[in-house]
Amino acid sequence: MSLIAEFPPTSFVYADRIEDHDPPPAWLVALVKRARGLVLPLLLAAAWHWASSIDASMAYAFVPLDQVWERLLQLLSTGELAINAGSSLGRALTGLALGGLSGILLGSLMAGFPLVERLFGPLLQAFRQVPPLGWLPLVGLWLGSGEEAKQLLVAVAAFHPLLLNSYEGFAQAEKKHLEVGRVLMLSRWRSFRFILLPTALPSILTGVGQALAFAWISTIGVELLFGTGAGLGSLMHTAQMAGDMGVVLLCVISIGLMGYGLNLILSLVRARLLRWRVTG
Amino acid sequence: MRSTLQQRLLPLLVPGLILATWFAVTSGDDFTAQVLVPPAAVLDSFNELLASGELADHLRASLSRLLLGFGIGSGLGLGFGILLARSALVNAFAGPFFQAVRQVPSIAFLPMLILLLGVDEGFKLAIVAKAAFFPVALATHDAVKGISKGWLEVAAIYRLSPLRVLFRLILPATVPPVLTGLRLGLTRAWIVLVAAELMAAENGIGQMMEMGRQMFRIDTVMVGVALTGLIGFALDQGVRLAERRLVRWKAV
Amino acid sequence: MNAIIDPRSVQADSAPAVGGLAIRHVHKGFDIDGRKLSVLEDVSLTIAPGQFVSIVGASGCGKSTLLRLIAGLERQDSGDILLNEVPVAGPGLDRGLIFQDHRLFPWLTVEQNVLLALSNSDEAATDKRARVASLLTLVGLDGFAQAFPHQLSGGMAQRAAIARALAPQPQVLLLDEPLGALDALTRLRLQSELQRIWLAQRSTMIMVTHDVDEALFLGDVIVVMQPGRIARILHVPSTHPRDRADPALAPLKAEILSLLHAG
Ligand SMILES: Nc1ncnc2c1ncn2[C@@H]1O[C@H](COP(=O)(O)OP(=O)(O)OP(=O)(O)O)[C@@H](O)[C@H]1O
Ligand SMILES: [Mg+2]
Repeated sequence: MSLIAEFPPTSFVYADRIEDHDPPPAWLVALVKRARGLVLPLLLAAAWHWASSIDASMAYAFVPLDQVWERLLQLLSTGELAINAGSSLGRALTGLALGGLSGILLGSLMAGFPLVERLFGPLLQAFRQVPPLGWLPLVGLWLGSGEEAKQLLVAVAAFHPLLLNSYEGFAQAEKKHLEVGRVLMLSRWRSFRFILLPTALPSILTGVGQALAFAWISTIGVELLFGTGAGLGSLMHTAQMAGDMGVVLLCVISIGLMGYGLNLILSLVRARLLRWRVTG
Repeated sequence: MRSTLQQRLLPLLVPGLILATWFAVTSGDDFTAQVLVPPAAVLDSFNELLASGELADHLRASLSRLLLGFGIGSGLGLGFGILLARSALVNAFAGPFFQAVRQVPSIAFLPMLILLLGVDEGFKLAIVAKAAFFPVALATHDAVKGISKGWLEVAAIYRLSPLRVLFRLILPATVPPVLTGLRLGLTRAWIVLVAAELMAAENGIGQMMEMGRQMFRIDTVMVGVALTGLIGFALDQGVRLAERRLVRWKAV
Repeated sequence: MNAIIDPRSVQADSAPAVGGLAIRHVHKGFDIDGRKLSVLEDVSLTIAPGQFVSIVGASGCGKSTLLRLIAGLERQDSGDILLNEVPVAGPGLDRGLIFQDHRLFPWLTVEQNVLLALSNSDEAATDKRARVASLLTLVGLDGFAQAFPHQLSGGMAQRAAIARALAPQPQVLLLDEPLGALDALTRLRLQSELQRIWLAQRSTMIMVTHDVDEALFLGDVIVVMQPGRIARILHVPSTHPRDRADPALAPLKAEILSLLHAG
């Protein structure tokens, strides 16, 4: 990057005259502009800290920030945060894989075979109305509160968005593209691989995004509600029972950061897979 | 004629089979009532809950929480969304924090709100409001941002009065996306309310199911699951109906 | 197999013996809401191997339907369509079809699009790629092999579609308004290129167009259609490559236009 491109020529001509009130460099302006976003969180943190100093009962809910910091160091050094975060992540991804793949499979079958759609469509539509965590008491009765129950609930949460989106994706395969496949005498497999799948891919990826969000929310939800085993939700559950706001706060932040990270990875994958699109 | 009848009956085949299996399995005594009860028992349980007024109490509790929390959350969301779109200052100072908090699933805030507000009504209203706030604020922001400058210029060329601009341009352009945001917010609010009631409540559909689970009353739990789905469906369809009525010009 | 592609290696008058078409008493109708709409009624046409046939006619008179029947995408209600004396039954690689919209697959690069047309050939992958490269050279798309369709202009996309249709070396190439969506200048250029490609390939080509000048510039034979039937078949006396201002074309043009207005 050349300097000339960054400064208008006039600042060279009059360089010695305007030296003492040179305009601040662009990066500094950008930094200050960005920093304005930090004002509100910092104010909130300050208010929080101030609230904690009023009296002991307030300090119970609004834990002093230095205590939160200590908790963080503690969770990190014992490896508790890593273990629980890893457990949640594994659960969410396994559920996404199990539920998502069955959703894609059934969705593509429903798009390809009207009979399958007529047989299962209305039933699945009815099941979809129950919020993922609404199944929890029933699944809890049947499977207890162990890993199978959690995994099933997360898988169900990931299932529906992918069922819906892959069905729509495969159903919108365009006649004009399929016709080209016929003229070129493509085999069934090639028609699927080169025409149907690419047509459905944007929709499927949208579904993966939704399913990922649902799987993550449900993972935290089932861990929180069952309160058993490892996981950020369980950690939060235990902390809530113990009145340990510091750990609860740290869990909330970790959950947000991890959800954000997962989303980011997915959007990178998406951009790569859909680079043939005009918008991509 | 016969083939259309077959077509009609086809979707009933799988549910029918499931129902038949359910009947068959529960008519023997291989199953204890803790695992599966006959369909008739679920129906009985529903009638009982209905007759005793218990169900009505739970429904009233859940729905009033939902509507109040949703009203607060979506109202604030509407206002904040407009501010966020129209004011550069609000955007600069509150935008990043808004985006950051948005990343956290509502359900993750439950323990925090319980510690802050206790296990009474407060935390349930707060979580429902929170769940409704974000989608509505986001949709409103996008809708207001999305008003095309070109349309405003057309309005200026024809010297439309501000009132005309509001009713002929700004409202028609923003109402559809905002309604979509409201629908999303309502759905999310319902999901998180059920979770909150499962966690800590004195009444409500979620609490009814949680009690059922603890007392091994599978019939009560099944009634609860069905109702949860039905209410979610009704809420969604209600807003969709409003969308269709208000946004007739849009090709569906 | 670059003999097919390099114009110099093929004698202009050594027309191949394959690629002859006979269309005999073909009828075709469509069901619309239970009512039968007759689109082609007793259409007969004989096309010699290596001929360039232009089809003109008003919108909706059945031109695309005729091409789709030859391509095997539709089936006639009665009558015969024979390629090299053998009845046509379904699509086949001996016939290529170019649509008005290029119909490239947007998710594949230009090279992958053309390669897909070779998926039934058992050549080695490197040979296929070499063939695709020379086809892209033929249509003037050197250097665009790795581009996605959305990165091409309309004219370039249509050329890529031509390369794709040529890849399986069809005996008959069917072109349904291939240049219809292009601007006038690109159109003129691509007409000359089509002529160059045809002279190089010497396969049978049947092109539907709304542009009478285009039909006359490229065709040995002009088929004028009126709704459901062939109104007249005209032979163009001029040789290829052809001069657009050839005075022999003027009376033909007048005749075609009057037929089109009458129909
Ligand atoms: N698949 C179909 N189903 C029903 N009707 C059809 C179908 N394909 C074509 N038609 C009808 O057949 C008639 C001829 O259509 P065709 O596409 O062959 O016309 P065309 O000569 O190619 O017209 P254009 O110049 O506009 O492309 C039209 O009236 C059209 O509506
Ligand atoms: Mg046509």
